[in-house]
Amino acid sequence: MPESEPRLDFRRGMIDRRLAHTKRVLLVMSGKGGVGKSVVSAALAGIAAASGLKAGLMDADIYGPSSALLFGAKGLPAEGESGLVPPILGGVKVMSVDLFASGRPIPLSGSGANEILLELLALTDWGNLDCLVVDLPPATGDIMLTLTSLRKVDVGAVVVTMPDRLSTSVAHRVLELLKGGGVTTVGVLGNMVRGSAKYKETGPRKLAEEFRVPLLGLLPYDPSVSNAVEKGNIEVLLRTKFSRSLQRSMSAYLRGMRRGTPRASG
Amino acid sequence: MHELSLVQGIITAVGEIASEKGGRVLSVRIGVGELAQFDIRLVRGLLNDLKKGTSLEGARFTVESEKSKVKCLSCGRVWAFQELAGPISRDEREMMHFLPELLNSCSRCPNCSKSYFEIEEGRSVRIIEVVLDA
Repeated sequence: MPESEPRLDFRRGMIDRRLAHTKRVLLVMSGKGGVGKSVVSAALAGIAAASGLKAGLMDADIYGPSSALLFGAKGLPAEGESGLVPPILGGVKVMSVDLFASGRPIPLSGSGANEILLELLALTDWGNLDCLVVDLPPATGDIMLTLTSLRKVDVGAVVVTMPDRLSTSVAHRVLELLKGGGVTTVGVLGNMVRGSAKYKETGPRKLAEEFRVPLLGLLPYDPSVSNAVEKGNIEVLLRTKFSRSLQRSMSAYLRGMRRGTPRASG
Repeated sequence: MHELSLVQGIITAVGEIASEKGGRVLSVRIGVGELAQFDIRLVRGLLNDLKKGTSLEGARFTVESEKSKVKCLSCGRVWAFQELAGPISRDEREMMHFLPELLNSCSRCPNCSKSYFEIEEGRSVRIIEVVLDA
């Protein structure tokens, strides 16, 4: 008797095969919006590329994509024999829904955003990468769940938070979710940090201590980041005090990647 | 031509099913949703080309076009791509070719003009059924 197989989402297998040539996926997440995940992600990918690593940046913020803007990427990606070819800017392969939507609003209900993420991951030909940085959207919904469930690839997460209680309370939930879920928590990264020394330290450090993960660094609030974003040029962003601080914060991690032994910095 | 990647993904996935189940694939039904605007003859041709030399060479692939079914979550109207009131530009068709969900970016419900709808059927290429000999 013939046996019927239920429907199968073949894109999951495609994603596994695409990412088989990527040494490490690094999720930049916070749970909360407005803490600077996109700028951290873009700068981190740029720093990785500048340090000699083969780097990619996947913009998983489907509702509010900004990676293309930060890198000055425009227009549909080229189609190669093996899939969509991400544009390379500042040495970084960049993929974003905005290369297709070109600034149009992206109102999606239900599983729509996750469908777009799956399609982009299934179709993008990243080639060989040392590191694929993924800029996650706020919230702990389908997109985060999809990305933290990637199979057959080493996945790490950097949790970005501002020092205030609102940001750290949401980052706390994300760190809780990451515990024991197969994703390595690389560490906590404080962002837009200013104020008294005590205030600056408290939130991110407490989080890192509670979850026993490294405090990667405390990135300063740097007004020149806004100017760099206006330029839409990653090289301008990489010259800011913010990026220099990020580079120091992630130097041990990136050094480990260059040696082929990614690990948490500290 | 990302159709090639998708069809290769289908061939690999069906081959994996057969391998896991330890059976021979008799037939495979593939749906091609209208929103992605694939050329159905191209999909058929790619399936026939790519199955050659694999364990699926003897399997029968049938390819069916699937009409779109879009449900407005605001007024409840169920509609199809052809019912859109406004024209869809070439650029918009092209972005939907890669990402059918971007229908939401370039159209509104023909009944209530809201952007609050979801695609229920007919988005892109999919595996409907794989039949194995037991």
